[in-house]
Amino acid sequence: MTAILSDYILPCACACLACVGFALVFNIHGVGKVICGVGGALGWLVYLLAGSTILAGFLASAAIGLYSEVMARLRRCPVTAYLLVALLPLVPGGGIYYAMSYCMVGDTERFLDTLLHTFGMASALAVGAMLTSSLFRAAYLHLHRPGAGVK
Amino acid sequence: MDYDKLLNMSVEMGCRLMSSGAEIYRVEESVRRLLQAYGLESPEVFAIPNCVIVSIATPEGHPITRMRRIAGHGTDIELLERCNGMCRWLCDHTPPVDEAQGMLTDLWEHTPKHAPWKVLMGYGIAPAFFSPLFGGGLADALCALIGGLAVGFCLLYAGRLIGSNSFFRTAVCSAVASLISLLLVRLGLGQSVDTVTISVLMVLVPGVALTNAMREIMAGDIVSGLSRAAESILTAAAIAIGSAIGLAIGWLL
Repeated sequence: MTAILSDYILPCACACLACVGFALVFNIHGVGKVICGVGGALGWLVYLLAGSTILAGFLASAAIGLYSEVMARLRRCPVTAYLLVALLPLVPGGGIYYAMSYCMVGDTERFLDTLLHTFGMASALAVGAMLTSSLFRAAYLHLHRPGAGVK
Repeated sequence: MDYDKLLNMSVEMGCRLMSSGAEIYRVEESVRRLLQAYGLESPEVFAIPNCVIVSIATPEGHPITRMRRIAGHGTDIELLERCNGMCRWLCDHTPPVDEAQGMLTDLWEHTPKHAPWKVLMGYGIAPAFFSPLFGGGLADALCALIGGLAVGFCLLYAGRLIGSNSFFRTAVCSAVASLISLLLVRLGLGQSVDTVTISVLMVLVPGVALTNAMREIMAGDIVSGLSRAAESILTAAAIAIGSAIGLAIGWLL
């Protein structure tokens, strides 16, 4: 029980609160802040459960993509806000930093390794969210009002 | 109907949408629908991240075009949601153009903004809660809070000193972030320079540009998608360069 608390619940709560911090920066008001926070926590939970690899990043961003599309439909708002903020904890900031520091000490092998991992993670995030968003949109348009607009 | 005024109003709408961080397809689609709602046959709209061009032909066959350049790009979700909602409302109700123009101006002034201290707090608490995700303890979280506040202060208030070049601004802010983390750890407040620096750098990381780039490409706007993708890679490079400079200064001290 304690292991679950410290391994999963605590990090997810942190991701949630960090996303609320970003919601303030992007001028999100009211219930939108809560939606962003929950999205961030959900993304991080999937990432942890799937093992913190590049594939996990892909799955997490797919989950976030689906979640934000659903929330945007429920609130009839642009999907950008929720997707933008919830994906932020997964963006490989650490990768950029470590690549830089290996480059500075001249450790080319680890520098290239970290750099490629960073690029891989960024592409996994992009492709994951893109895929579910497109699939959801296609399915939604198919089920509801065929021929309706993108909004 | 006064088509000049209608054109001005719709270009203004496009501009507002774009500068609040809307995707290209949303800007183009919104302006097109707005003009169609006012009875124009085939309005043409073209948008890239810093320019909107709208061209219409009046029923007499006279073509009019207006172009607006958009300088600053921010992300203001509240404004985006309100613009989007208002655009839909205008399409449904089509009030007289003067009235619509007035509403648009009001919208700009009446959109609520978080107080500066709240935004600054946002810059502070985001890194503070990121540091446990990167393996930091309570002390590291505190250092990240201080670093985040410093970076937020640079972004919000030191704009005139640093200039408006976003590459340079990111580099300066990340230099500040890594320097402050290094100093705080040296003073014995934090435990790991890496953890604190990464947590603070997370507020500068090009997550927004990356997400936007992928959404543009998904929507088929390749030009804008590529320019945003280039933006995100350049921002990442600026972060790396800036934090390297910050660390180098820290080692020299």
